[in-house]
Amino acid sequence: MTYKQSRRIFLQKTALLTGGLFLGYHFPDIRALANDQDNVADTVRLGIIGTGSRGQYLMTHINLIPGIEIVAVCDNYKPNLDKGVEMTGGKAEAFTDFRNLLEKNDIDGIIIATPLHLHAVMSIDSLKSGLHVFCEKAMAKTPGECLAMYNAQLETGKILLIGHQRMFNPRYLKAFEMINRGQLGNITQVRAYWHRNNDWRREVPEPSLERKINWRLYWDYSEGLMTELGSHQIQVANFIKKDFPRRVTGTGSINYWHDGREVFDNVNLVYEYPDGSSLIYDSMISNAHYGYEEQIMGPKGTMELEAGRIYSENPPPAPGILQLLNNIEHKIFDPLPLGGKSWIPETAVQDKGEYIYEVDLEDDGTALEMEGFAQMIRENRHSDILLREAYYASIAAVLGNEAIKKGEMITFPEEYIL
Amino acid sequence: MKDLVIKGKWIKRELVLLAVIFLLAVIINIIGIVKHDTRWIEMLSQMHVVLILTLLVYALIWLVRLIIFVVMLPFRKKSNK
Repeated sequence: MTYKQSRRIFLQKTALLTGGLFLGYHFPDIRALANDQDNVADTVRLGIIGTGSRGQYLMTHINLIPGIEIVAVCDNYKPNLDKGVEMTGGKAEAFTDFRNLLEKNDIDGIIIATPLHLHAVMSIDSLKSGLHVFCEKAMAKTPGECLAMYNAQLETGKILLIGHQRMFNPRYLKAFEMINRGQLGNITQVRAYWHRNNDWRREVPEPSLERKINWRLYWDYSEGLMTELGSHQIQVANFIKKDFPRRVTGTGSINYWHDGREVFDNVNLVYEYPDGSSLIYDSMISNAHYGYEEQIMGPKGTMELEAGRIYSENPPPAPGILQLLNNIEHKIFDPLPLGGKSWIPETAVQDKGEYIYEVDLEDDGTALEMEGFAQMIRENRHSDILLREAYYASIAAVLGNEAIKKGEMITFPEEYIL
Repeated sequence: MKDLVIKGKWIKRELVLLAVIFLLAVIINIIGIVKHDTRWIEMLSQMHVVLILTLLVYALIWLVRLIIFVVMLPFRKKSNK
């Protein structure tokens, strides 16, 4: 299914959602997309800072969307810069210093896809230059930087959107609505994990570029698994809980990739919400069997958001004829019991559940998010809900690492509560 | 080569057999609904199960008849002689 087809179905489906009560407080700004894509009045002109792998991924999606033009690219690593220019068909102006790009006066907004430690300074400078900003997740490397970015948005009034694309993913939006309608009951636990089996390394042409290219592996530039992967899933949990965790504890280490890296290759955390419910989170890069998932649990049911399925605690019975045939089969083929069962194993329920959202979209939310950003620029409308979600998820991710490093239960600092 | 002649009587007999099996499968569906207290809409929604069951039983009866035919073949030849 092409992006255009996916988008059309998405808008049809979400038109139904937007009528619901869910819009009241907790709903991402999907209204941003409710325009006629084929008749976009104003072309939004963007500059991209950071044209490495993530920047290129975003550009691939942007190139699908009418009404957005990438007019400038910036990277201080030449192969990435060249690739960035190439992806615009050679049309974009190239910069190696982002400050020079910000001086360009024909840009509406900036996309930042650089290493984490640069997010705050680049976002704040861009906002203060009068530009709207889309910054990749996580928001920033420290709680202080996150707060500074939040305040810079308040001060300038410009749009600041953080790249949590699940908030633009139709499957997630549908799930959020169902949860909000109480289909799972009060959410008592969220279990989330992200497992990979690779060293997370990029090829380095010469040793002096190790930290520049493999910045994710070093504390000076990155917060490792928690900010690169965990922040997405913490954000989902927060959105569902309509709150943020007040305490976190856990463990983490380098238990497999002993290759000179500094950041943990496995993290295992428990976040506690004010109502006593919890987010149990783990991430590792030495086994990919379980992949990634967010499991949302309540007394009435369970949702697996990546699999896109909902499981009721009381699933409807199988059709009568199947039950009857099944009973006959068991009577014929099962061995005769010598006595009644005194113990029944409490293994996982084998119910296959139902689809949350029946349409299989190509886009994981990234293209819709880019389109949403462009429309927010056209309407000059910032979404404080989305920024707060990103803010609390990013700080919670960073606090998770702090809890591991200190070996303590860490409480969410009062000074960072908005 | 000898022509294979399928008589109208034979076709009629097979169709009656198929209809009887189908009826039995429908009755099994009704018993299932009543016994397990499920919804009557399953008379329609589970029609695919009824049809599969019908074809399975019909195929099983064919198999039994084929086995009987093969087993009886030597005796039949003797009696023909």
